[in-house]
Amino acid sequence: MSSEHVWRYTLLGTILSVLALFIVWQTIRIQLDPEQVQRFIEEGKTYEGEWHTYYPPRGLIYDRWGHLLAGNTTVYEIGAELGQVKNPHTIALTMNVVLGLDYSKVYDAVTQEPSKKAVYAVLDDNVTQDKIDRLIAIRDEIETTYGGSRDKDAPNLSGLVYHPHLQRTYPENSLASNMLGFVGRDENGDIRGYFGVEAKYNDLLAGQPQRAWVPSDPNRVAEIPEIPAGASLVLTIDRDIQSAMEEIVDETMESSGSESVTIVVMDPRSGDVLAMATTPRLDLNKYWRYGEIFEGETPFNRAVSQAYEPGSVYKVLTMAAGLDSKAVKPESTFVDTGLFEIGGTFIRNWNSGAWGPQDMQGCLQHSLNVCLAWVASQTGAKKFYEYMNAFSIGHQTGIELAGESSGRLKEPGDADWYDADLGTNAFGQGVSATPLQMAAAISAIANDGKMMAPRIVRSIISDGRQFDTEARMVGMPISADTAHTLTEILARSLESEASNALVEGFRVAGKTGTAEIPTPYGYTSDVTNASFVGWGPVPENRFLVYIWLEKPKTSIWGSEVAAPIFPKVVEKLVVLMDIPPDDVRNALFSQ
Amino acid sequence: MDGVRKLTQAYSQAPWRKQMQVLGLFLLVLVLLALVAGIYLNVTARAATIGREILGMQSRIEDLDLENANLQTRLAMVKSATEMEKRARALGFEPLDQTEITYMVVQGYIPRQQAIIAPPPEPVIVVAASLPADYTESLFDWLQERIIPSLSRVLEVQQ
Repeated sequence: MSSEHVWRYTLLGTILSVLALFIVWQTIRIQLDPEQVQRFIEEGKTYEGEWHTYYPPRGLIYDRWGHLLAGNTTVYEIGAELGQVKNPHTIALTMNVVLGLDYSKVYDAVTQEPSKKAVYAVLDDNVTQDKIDRLIAIRDEIETTYGGSRDKDAPNLSGLVYHPHLQRTYPENSLASNMLGFVGRDENGDIRGYFGVEAKYNDLLAGQPQRAWVPSDPNRVAEIPEIPAGASLVLTIDRDIQSAMEEIVDETMESSGSESVTIVVMDPRSGDVLAMATTPRLDLNKYWRYGEIFEGETPFNRAVSQAYEPGSVYKVLTMAAGLDSKAVKPESTFVDTGLFEIGGTFIRNWNSGAWGPQDMQGCLQHSLNVCLAWVASQTGAKKFYEYMNAFSIGHQTGIELAGESSGRLKEPGDADWYDADLGTNAFGQGVSATPLQMAAAISAIANDGKMMAPRIVRSIISDGRQFDTEARMVGMPISADTAHTLTEILARSLESEASNALVEGFRVAGKTGTAEIPTPYGYTSDVTNASFVGWGPVPENRFLVYIWLEKPKTSIWGSEVAAPIFPKVVEKLVVLMDIPPDDVRNALFSQ
Repeated sequence: MDGVRKLTQAYSQAPWRKQMQVLGLFLLVLVLLALVAGIYLNVTARAATIGREILGMQSRIEDLDLENANLQTRLAMVKSATEMEKRARALGFEPLDQTEITYMVVQGYIPRQQAIIAPPPEPVIVVAASLPADYTESLFDWLQERIIPSLSRVLEVQQ
């Protein structure tokens, strides 16, 4: 070996040795420097995996026959990985064209300098699949055209990412919207239910989200936690009845010029709410229009949240109390002089007339305030209010819907109760109740005196099992005899006056109501609340219908605007509930 | 002395043999190491592949869950009250009036049943709490049940 070669090898060896030593020294230095160690550990962790929150799919909501009323669909959150954005102009322009987002806002968002606190920017959420498909097509087109280009300004969608997640969807749009409620984000960005069963059962429907570490290292792959889906609900409502009722409500709104119309349909035997139609309604898939549709203090569901003075439909309860307490009998005679004094106040009839001698059927048939005030006075304040409490007036019904109002029943002993209130309460003035409260109370008369708690949730499906809720009896405010007697009186009174509420082929019982609307100065307004409550077919009583028209314009009288709605409702109900006419039923029973 | 040298020479190994032994040992260690490394690599690669497959399957499960939810809701949309009414009207159907219905008795007719989305909860079987005899019997009971019969059998056999 020549000396030249020796020199070269010595030099190479020295360099390699120095490099090796440098590497060893660096290794030791890194291992010994706590700051470096920490930094490398943290950097390493970012590649190890990520904490992922698994949200269980929100429970579904069905009607009583299993029609889906609230489900889930896949939507996408679109965002930008700030560190990977190459051409913010392309991203902003694409977002503007495909999603209609503001160009400058998107541009500003994606040109943020990535930092520890900002690595990702959300550009849009709840983007539908078709929009994502368009984005994918644009990305592929750009890739095909400019894929190999080294031009910095070449169109590029690098950094644009999308993540799927489930979003609440309502296949029936606005159907039963007032009962269902909707799902949105609160001020903290958390998903929660608003109004109706979505709010009342939010925790149950939402389930329990879980966080889990998802390692990137395939050798450390861990099992995804088994997260049970949120509980599903089967409601008592019948989709087809609900749809028919909403149609009638809308027609009535238009024909009567009312401010609002509400119809509640119940099965008095179980307390099941079959339909609850009211106005306004919201397309739940566009819940962000809530503020626009429900202006001011408009309640989301008037049937449970808006208490009003019901007027003469309340006379049904007054008469029930009078008959049940034996204060009056059906054949008791009251001579109506057109004036009745109670607690220093004079009660007059709706037409200020005197109707002469009347039995109890006549009192209800002609809706005589004077007579009913007398019935209440005969019953006595103590007993009268005991009965009203037994009918749960002034108390929430406990229905599984958010935002239920309890109404107001002033009682002896309350600071604002006066003797005269007994007389006015007797015909539904000075007392307030929601349409559902009235329907639930009067359902006792249609159900042999047994008052069932109105319910809207029939079953809860949790952990793959269906748990049926039991119909619950609130109490028995009146006897079965009283209930039958009063039903007979009300059925005859409709027949005697050839009421607009009569239904061909079906015997029904019912009562109209017209209530003046109080103002801060008393009953000075010339607008009214028109109501009707009816049930049938007597005596089986498979449905109870409560109708309320708020401030109708075509007529102020319940007998003229609310009563004619009842046969329309019943004609739909008997078809949808498979109830044959009386003669057919009687013939079938006799076979 | 010469004898010792001859003896040592006779039993000492040739230098090339010693080198071969060292080389062989080295190669053996090398082969063993390579074998262990190979097995390790093989196992690790297979574990990694399966890990990737599991990750892929987990992702697929999530996708399928989303797709299921989508399809369920799409089906409900297609079968919604308004859509069904539209389709029925397009097929020439009209809403039925109560007076147009003819009722008849059909033996064995089962009316529409309410929705059963999931099976009912399993009945709760209440098992009466019963303590094992070990916790309740006295020493005398135990002797009477286990020892005395055995002793009597032994005595019978002896007789």
